[in-house]
Amino acid sequence: MTNARFQYRFSDLNLNITQIESFMGYKDGESHETVTELLSGILAEAEEICDIRAEYHIWPVASFNDSEKSLSLDHHTFNIGRIIYGQMKRSGSVALFLCTAGREIGSKSRKEMREGDLLKGYLYDVVGSEIVEAAADLMQESLEASVAGEKRRITNRYSPGYCGWDVAEQHKLFRLIPYNFCGIRLTPSALMDPVKSVSGFIGIGEKVKRLPYTCSLCDMKDCIYRRGRR
Amino acid sequence: MNELLEKLSRCVELGKTDLLSPYPPDMKGQDGADELAKKALEEGIRPDEILEKSLIPAMEIVGDKFSRKQIYVPQMLMAAKAMNSAMKHLKPYFQSGEAKRKGKFIIGTVAGDLHDIGKNLVSMMIEGGGWEVIDLGVDVGSDKFLRTIEENPGAVVGLSALLTTTMENMRTTVTAIRERYPDAKVLVGGAPVTMEYCNKIGADFYSPDPQGAVNYLKQLAT
Ligand code: B12
Repeated sequence: MTNARFQYRFSDLNLNITQIESFMGYKDGESHETVTELLSGILAEAEEICDIRAEYHIWPVASFNDSEKSLSLDHHTFNIGRIIYGQMKRSGSVALFLCTAGREIGSKSRKEMREGDLLKGYLYDVVGSEIVEAAADLMQESLEASVAGEKRRITNRYSPGYCGWDVAEQHKLFRLIPYNFCGIRLTPSALMDPVKSVSGFIGIGEKVKRLPYTCSLCDMKDCIYRRGRR
Repeated sequence: MNELLEKLSRCVELGKTDLLSPYPPDMKGQDGADELAKKALEEGIRPDEILEKSLIPAMEIVGDKFSRKQIYVPQMLMAAKAMNSAMKHLKPYFQSGEAKRKGKFIIGTVAGDLHDIGKNLVSMMIEGGGWEVIDLGVDVGSDKFLRTIEENPGAVVGLSALLTTTMENMRTTVTAIRERYPDAKVLVGGAPVTMEYCNKIGADFYSPDPQGAVNYLKQLAT
């Protein structure tokens, strides 16, 4: 099993205000002064309040089950559902990943909300979400580069809880992560703590491919972020 | 309508909290919701009139615009902040019983779940709809909901969840409430929740956004 661990600085992520505003729904230049101002304050502070980590652990695929739409790694069978199975089925191995923005940004968000600054609290929350996604992008790029030498490619990232894959399957996923560098705790109800965390699979193989845009695969038709990049 | 109330309404809608709020630019240096609410009371306008004719209608416009995706979460929050700054002047009258709100609304994120942004948005819009909101926070078990209903007879209950796993705890809570308080109205919401699921677990109402809940409560109150 190969694995890799990453620790990022906020500046590595190249996040900018426009990106974050567009995540909230705003088109370029449409946002409010107040929002833009608060965001720039939060971004300036982000380096200090984030502990951005990511890791992946590569497991060979032991078997696929076409009728069940499942695959097995080690002794664990993952029922990943039709949509994700279609993307994963040519993989020779799978990278299990975790990624987190750390605990503090979530605490900041809750603190502001509790103290009555709803807007600032919400903006911390949104920035936290963007950080974890951007960090997962970087981790994924590293993985892609590391397998490219062997003429292998990777799929997109897929997470339990998306596209018909039960969120509770994270329990199995966490069992295959021997040393949890990200320090994420999975609660019995399959919630990751810190909240600003993601988990999932990336398929690896000579015949797999990465799609440019995956919203169209998702079954959450009325998602408020659908027209965005998610 | 009274000009002052109209102005107050506009301030809430646009998120002009007080004199110092820089936004919107063309209202810079003018009174905001805070000062105008105070003035309205000083002029002798009744607190419930301020709530009914000025604040609630403003928040209704905001909620509708959000449902139609004409504004996004930040503007809704700015409006709520302005609303709160006006409400601060009305609260003593509610406490003394001189003025009345529409009823009590108990809200919480169900057991096992720590998400609160969605719940906070709903709770603030319902407050803006003229209800007294009792926010129990996150990871709230059935017992705590039951106790709070006991202390606040007739209150409406709202449950929020963000994951399909924690959504199952909604069922547990709804069942517990039904057993003890068959007449209590229970609203459910959160990203994975659907109307179908709401019906399946025997809750009374589901809405994908806060305004749907506000409208439902409005019907209950009349
Ligand atoms: C941003 C986001 C993230 C961020 C931040 C998460 C966070 N909350 O902090 C990140 C990237 C970290 C993330 C991670 C994950 N996510 Co996510 N995420 C989202 C996304 C895109 C938006 C959530 C959000 O913040 N919305 C904004 C708030 C304001 O909306 P809201 O909470 O839904 O509340 C609104 C309504 O629901 C309603 N409402 C809420 N409560 C109530 C109550 C009542 C009574 C009423 C009437 C209405 C109501 O009103 C609110 C205002 O409109 C949603 C998809 C979506 N479009 O909703 C997925 C979503 C929530 N995520 C999902 C999943 C699965 C995950 C992960 C498990 C994936 C993974 N394996 O890594 C992790 C879990 C993280 C954890 N800690 O355990 C699923 C959950 C469903 C499920 N299958 O369980 C969703 C729904 C996506 C999907 N599959 O369709 N996620």
